[in-house]
Amino acid sequence: MAYLELKHVNKAFSGVDVVHDFNLEVEKGTLVSFLGPSGCGKTTTLRMIAGFEFMDEGTITLDGGDITGVPPNRRDIGMVFQAYALFPNKTVGDNIAFGLRMKKHPKDEIAKKVRETLEMVRLLDTIDRYPHQLSGGQQQRIALARALAVQPRVLLLDEPLSALDAEVRVALRGEIRRIQSSLGITTIYVTHDQEEALSISDRVVVMNKGLIEQAGTPEEIYRSPKTRFVATFIGTANQFPGVVSGAASVTSGSIKLLANGAKNFRDGDEVVALVRPENIQIQTEDTPHDGWNIIPGVVETITFHGAVTRLGVNASGQRVVADVTMANSKPVSLNQKIWLAFSAEASQVMAAK
Amino acid sequence: MNNTETKKKKEEKNKKRVAGWQIALVGAFLFYMLIPIISTYVFSVATRWDRTILPEGYTFEFYGKATESSYFGITLRNSLILSLTTVLASLIIIVPTVYWVQIRLQRAKPLLEVLMILPFGIPTVVLALALVRIYTVPPFARSPFLLIGAVVVYSMPFMYRPVSNALQAIDSHTLTEAGQSLGANIFRILIEVIIPNIFPGLLSGSLLVFATVFAEFTLTSLIVGARFKTFPLLLVEYTRINGNVAAAFSVISFTIAWIVSMLILWVGTRSKSASTETIQAR
Repeated sequence: MAYLELKHVNKAFSGVDVVHDFNLEVEKGTLVSFLGPSGCGKTTTLRMIAGFEFMDEGTITLDGGDITGVPPNRRDIGMVFQAYALFPNKTVGDNIAFGLRMKKHPKDEIAKKVRETLEMVRLLDTIDRYPHQLSGGQQQRIALARALAVQPRVLLLDEPLSALDAEVRVALRGEIRRIQSSLGITTIYVTHDQEEALSISDRVVVMNKGLIEQAGTPEEIYRSPKTRFVATFIGTANQFPGVVSGAASVTSGSIKLLANGAKNFRDGDEVVALVRPENIQIQTEDTPHDGWNIIPGVVETITFHGAVTRLGVNASGQRVVADVTMANSKPVSLNQKIWLAFSAEASQVMAAK
Repeated sequence: MNNTETKKKKEEKNKKRVAGWQIALVGAFLFYMLIPIISTYVFSVATRWDRTILPEGYTFEFYGKATESSYFGITLRNSLILSLTTVLASLIIIVPTVYWVQIRLQRAKPLLEVLMILPFGIPTVVLALALVRIYTVPPFARSPFLLIGAVVVYSMPFMYRPVSNALQAIDSHTLTEAGQSLGANIFRILIEVIIPNIFPGLLSGSLLVFATVFAEFTLTSLIVGARFKTFPLLLVEYTRINGNVAAAFSVISFTIAWIVSMLILWVGTRSKSASTETIQAR
């Protein structure tokens, strides 16, 4: 039995399904992200785990005990909010001590614990300051320390980095992961930022319209998306809509693609073949390979992204983007005729719906 | 060069003219507001002031008469009891109610808003007479208890507005949830987190209620009358006996209101500056 379990959780707001038959098992000590566009139900699910929203149906069990009807202040679940929500009238030290005082810890123990927690987020020198005297990033680290000081059974983070600058965001997410794994605390992290979710999670739960689209490790989510939504929401994917034609090929307009995934479908099925831009190589000559797709096209746009350069290619009317590292390929110019090359394994096939 | 200089001068002139009419406007307003107060102060120490522009002589005799009056102490005490009880009662009723509506019962907010305008809509005389008619049995009939109840309702908007605004200014919803996730119940959160953060609102609400109730005449006169004589009642009584003594009463009433206001403000700013001092010290 998993540490945290959600079973058949349903929630509707004024007749509209927000979360629909949500089932999830979270193992102890892991970090699980809920990832999805706004309105996909990720925050609502998190708030139901915290106890701030009632469920219409379903149960939540934590460490073997049913917590479905337990009020939020008795769940032993810590929470970090997007808006920090530090108590403005209390110093940093008093903010962190608050939860410990509610649990009636002895005074000297509280003082010791407050210092330890502050050291963990590397902000011991702010102990006597007030929240408004700190930067956003510092406030969020204090909020994290405050939630962790009481040693909750589960830590919930609701888009904790959305209000911060890009630079602080990247630094802080690394810090969150470092603290989370050193404490081994079971954590659920809500975000709409796919890069954030992929970089810090043990498992990612991709949600859309109140449903789980796919749950798995970041690699699984990225490399073998199960639905078209996941494939396009996570990273970038070129889409070739078409029909299955033969054992391992898809015909999309005038292009005939070799795609291993087509084996799982029948002839004539309407499908979409998906290819990641980084899996496409550029050739300046038409040199065929066995088991590879070689598609001619014309370079329409060249966008420099630093590590890679993204080419926009018109392949017989179909727009395809390819990421190339300029260092190890021949330079290309606008309107140049080139050949896109990708293997039959690189293109995934899924039902068009 | 010349051009820009003249331009500058013109601009300065314009600024001065604007400042001029602004001062005149503010001056006129202050004059309008202060003249009755100043006249009352002067009248309370004037010997005779009906044949001359300024009083013919000055005396403190009326203050002696005012304080010697057997009712002076009693009415003052009654007024203070009435005002302070009302402030306390409306704090206890309003603060938790507004907080609860804010975090749990948003739907009830329009109803609350309407309720808080009602006291302005009902004439005080009607309210007083209706209350007297309805509450005919002891211990309420024409008692100070009934009066306190009536005054609490009557002065509620003055407490509601500042408290509600202060609660909206802080993110009370998220603060409450943060407190709950740390194991605190709603009551502890209200005491430890919400009230300290809306303290300025509570302060100005208390001030407004105190001032309103301390000067309240209609309800007191119609509900309890002579059974529970308050300071405004005594004052009105004396306007028929001796204008100068009445003026002296007014001055005393002003002064008390001032002192109490200052006291409340002082407590407020002191608690605030204490926290800023600790901030600066570190």
